[in-house]
Amino acid sequence: MNRSRKEREEKRTGFPPKAEQTNLCELRDFCKSALTRTTALAGLTLRDAIRSRLLVSLSTILVIGLVGLPLLISGDNTLNGRLQVILNYTLSFTLAMLSIVTLWAACGGVSSEIQDRRLYLVLTKPVHRHELWLGKWLGIVALNALLLVLTGCIIGTMTWHTLRTSPESDSAKRQAREQFLLARQSVFPESPVSESQALASAEALVKSGRTPAGMTTAQVEAELVKELKRSRSTVAPEGNLRFAYNLPARATGVNDFILNYRFESSRPARTPVSAEWTITTDGGASLHVDVTNYPGVPNTLLIPCTAIRGAQTLSLVYHRLDRDNPATLFMAQNGREPELLIPSGSWVMNLSRGLLMMLFRLAFLSALGLTAGCLLSMPVAVFAAFFILVLLASAGYVESVASTGVFYIPHEGQAQTPTWLDKAVLHQFKALNFITRPIHRLDPVPLLEEGRRISWLLTAQAMLWLAGIYTAITALAGISLFNRRELG
Amino acid sequence: MKDEGISEFVIEARNLTKVFRDFWGRPTVKAVNNVTLDVRRGEIFGLLGPNGSGKSTTIKMILGLLHPTSGHLAVLGQSPRSVSVKSRIGFMPEESYLYKYLTAEEILNFYANLYGLSGQHKTERVDALIGQVGLTHARHRRVGEFSKGMARRVGLAQALLNDPDLILLDEPTSGLDPIACREVKDLLLALARQGKTILICSHHLSDMQDICNRVAILLQGEVCASGSVQDLLTTPDTLKLTLQAPSQTTLNTILDMLERETGIRPQVDHTGRTLESVFIETVSQRRSDSTHKSSCSPEKSV
Repeated sequence: MNRSRKEREEKRTGFPPKAEQTNLCELRDFCKSALTRTTALAGLTLRDAIRSRLLVSLSTILVIGLVGLPLLISGDNTLNGRLQVILNYTLSFTLAMLSIVTLWAACGGVSSEIQDRRLYLVLTKPVHRHELWLGKWLGIVALNALLLVLTGCIIGTMTWHTLRTSPESDSAKRQAREQFLLARQSVFPESPVSESQALASAEALVKSGRTPAGMTTAQVEAELVKELKRSRSTVAPEGNLRFAYNLPARATGVNDFILNYRFESSRPARTPVSAEWTITTDGGASLHVDVTNYPGVPNTLLIPCTAIRGAQTLSLVYHRLDRDNPATLFMAQNGREPELLIPSGSWVMNLSRGLLMMLFRLAFLSALGLTAGCLLSMPVAVFAAFFILVLLASAGYVESVASTGVFYIPHEGQAQTPTWLDKAVLHQFKALNFITRPIHRLDPVPLLEEGRRISWLLTAQAMLWLAGIYTAITALAGISLFNRRELG
Repeated sequence: MKDEGISEFVIEARNLTKVFRDFWGRPTVKAVNNVTLDVRRGEIFGLLGPNGSGKSTTIKMILGLLHPTSGHLAVLGQSPRSVSVKSRIGFMPEESYLYKYLTAEEILNFYANLYGLSGQHKTERVDALIGQVGLTHARHRRVGEFSKGMARRVGLAQALLNDPDLILLDEPTSGLDPIACREVKDLLLALARQGKTILICSHHLSDMQDICNRVAILLQGEVCASGSVQDLLTTPDTLKLTLQAPSQTTLNTILDMLERETGIRPQVDHTGRTLESVFIETVSQRRSDSTHKSSCSPEKSV
C-alpha cells in the first residue's frame, strides 16, 4: 500500500490501515476460518429449513403436486398423452413453486433476522457481511438442490411406472419411449438461399437503380432473403418441396428420427391435406410415407432408424397428393422450417442437466431475494422480489415486443401508429430485454418438455450467466449496500 | 495480536454523537450527544440511565452495528467495525436473540465456528462453558423450550466463547433468579480479576453497585455524571456508625453528645438485611438440608 493511499484510508476511517498480509500461513488461516464461518452459516440456514419443517412441507407439496397434477389432468388417455402431461406440467410446476419459495426464503433469511434481531449476535462476531450473505445463499441453494433431486426422482419414478403399467402394446410403448424418453438434437435443413448470393443480388439491384427510393443495400438484402425464403416454402397443389439435412457424426443408431413440421393453408377452410414424404439417404436407400395432416397444427413424422442407418445426409421431399385441393401451402411459417430431431443421449442425463440449469436459475433468484432482504424490510423485500420474478417470467413477451416493436395486436383492424409514450416504453422494453434475454434463453423447461437435448455447453452457459455473472452482480450490489446498512 | 497493550483504555469515546435520520435524511433524534467515555483495562464499567437515555445506542456503536455521526470511537485501539476487534469482544444482548430451533450445545458450536474455533479446542470450550453457566443437564434441549433465565445463561456462555478481552453485557441479570444473579456477578468479578474489561448496561442499580468499579450516568444522550462508584456514593459530610445495640441510657448519652457537637440529632435505626441476602441464605440452607437428607436416605445408602 503506498503512502498516499495509506493516508487516505487513515483520513477516511480515523484509524491507521491494517498491515498487508504477506505471510502465506496467515493467509491460509484466514481463508480457512472464512470458509468455516461461511459453511457454518450455510449449515444454519439448512438446519433452519429442516427444523422449522420447511423442507418437509415443501417436499410434501412437491410430492402431492407432482403426483397429483398428472392425475388431475387426464389428457387424451393414451400413453403418449400421459407422458406428455407428466413432462409438461410437473417441470413447470416445480420451477414455479421453487422460484416463489426461494424468493420468500431468501428475503426472510436476512430481513426477518434483522427484524427479530437474531442477526445482531451474528454480526457482533468476527463475521464479514459478505460471509453472512454467501452463507445464506449457499444454504438456500443447498435446500433447492435437495428439492430438485427429489423432483428428479419423482418424475423418473412416475415415468417408469406409467410405461410399466400401461396396457398399450409393446410397439406403442417403444414409440412413446422414442418420442419422450430420449434427448434429441435439432437439425434444420440447409438453407437453399445463400446470404452471400442475396447480398450480391441486392448490390446489383442497388447499382442498377431498380430499388425503391430510400432503401439501403442491407434493407434490400433482408427483403430479398425474406422473399426468397417465402418462395422456397410454398407448395402448390400437386407440387413438392425438398429439404436436405446434414446429419452430425454418429447420429444414426438404434433410435428413430422425428420430423416436426407445420404448414399453413392459403384457404381459410381447414381441410386435411394428403401428401407423401419421400426420405432418401446419401447411400441411396429410400422410404415413402403417406400422411394426411391439417393446416395450422404441429405434425410429427417418425423416421425409422432402419431406413437411415449409416446415412450422412438426408433428403426429404414433401409431395402433395390432393388434386382437388386448390390451396397453396406454406411450409416454413415464421422462418421455422421442418425440424429434424435426432437421438442424442439419454433422457436421464438430459433431465439431470435440465434440473441443474433450474438450480442455477434458483441460485440467481436466491441472490435476488437475499439482496432485497438485506436492504428492505420483509414485506417490502418480498414485494420487490416478486415484482422482479414477474418481469423475468414475462421475458418472452418482453423479447417479442423488443424485436417487433408491437405491444399488442388488436382483434380487428390494424395496429395504431405508436405514440411518443409507446416509443419511450419500447426503449425500456429493449433495455429490459437486454437483461432478461439470457435468462429466457437458458430456461430448461421448454427444452425438457419437447425432449430436446440440453448440452453440457448450454448447462455451462447457464452456470456462467445465471449462477455466475447475474448472481455476482446482484451479490456485489447487495453486499456493498448491506455493508453500509446500520442495524439500529 | 494483542498489540494494544500500550494503550490503557479499552474503549475510548471522544465527543461521540449519533443522530438518527428519516428516509429523506432529515435528523429525527439525537440519541447520543457529545459523549466522552474511557473504559480502562480490567475494570467493570457500568452505563446507567433511564429508558431512551442512549445506553443501547452507545453499546451498538461500540459493537459496530451503528456508525457514529461524529466524534471518535476506538475499541481495543481500532475501529469498532473492524472484524479483528470483534474476535476479541463478547456480547450478551438484553434479550436472548438466539435461534430457538437449536439446542444449547448446537448454538454454542455455531458461534464457536464463527469465532474460528475448531476441533478439540472447540469441544472443550463449549463443554466448559455449558458447565460454567449450569446448563449441563439441558445441553441437548432446544433453546425455544428454555425459560428466560436459562436462555440468558446460553447468552452469557456464547459471550464468553472466545475468551474475550472486552465483554459487553446488556442487562446481564435480567430474568435470572437471585442465586443465578449472584453466580453471574461472582463470575463477572472473577473475569475482571483475570484482566477482562467488562462494560455493563443495566437498570438493576444494586447489581451495578455490587460489581462496578466505575459508572457513567446517561440522560437524554449526554453523560450527567461519571466516576468511581466509591466516589459517587460517598457523602463527604455524613458518616454511618454501626454498633452492637447498647442500652437505651448509653445510646441517649451518645446521641446527646453528637447533637451538641453537630447541632443536629442523629437518626437511629436497626441494621437491616437485604431481601436478596435473606433469599440466598434460605434457599442455600434448604438445598444443603435436602442434599444431606437424600445422601442419608436408605435408598441412597444402599
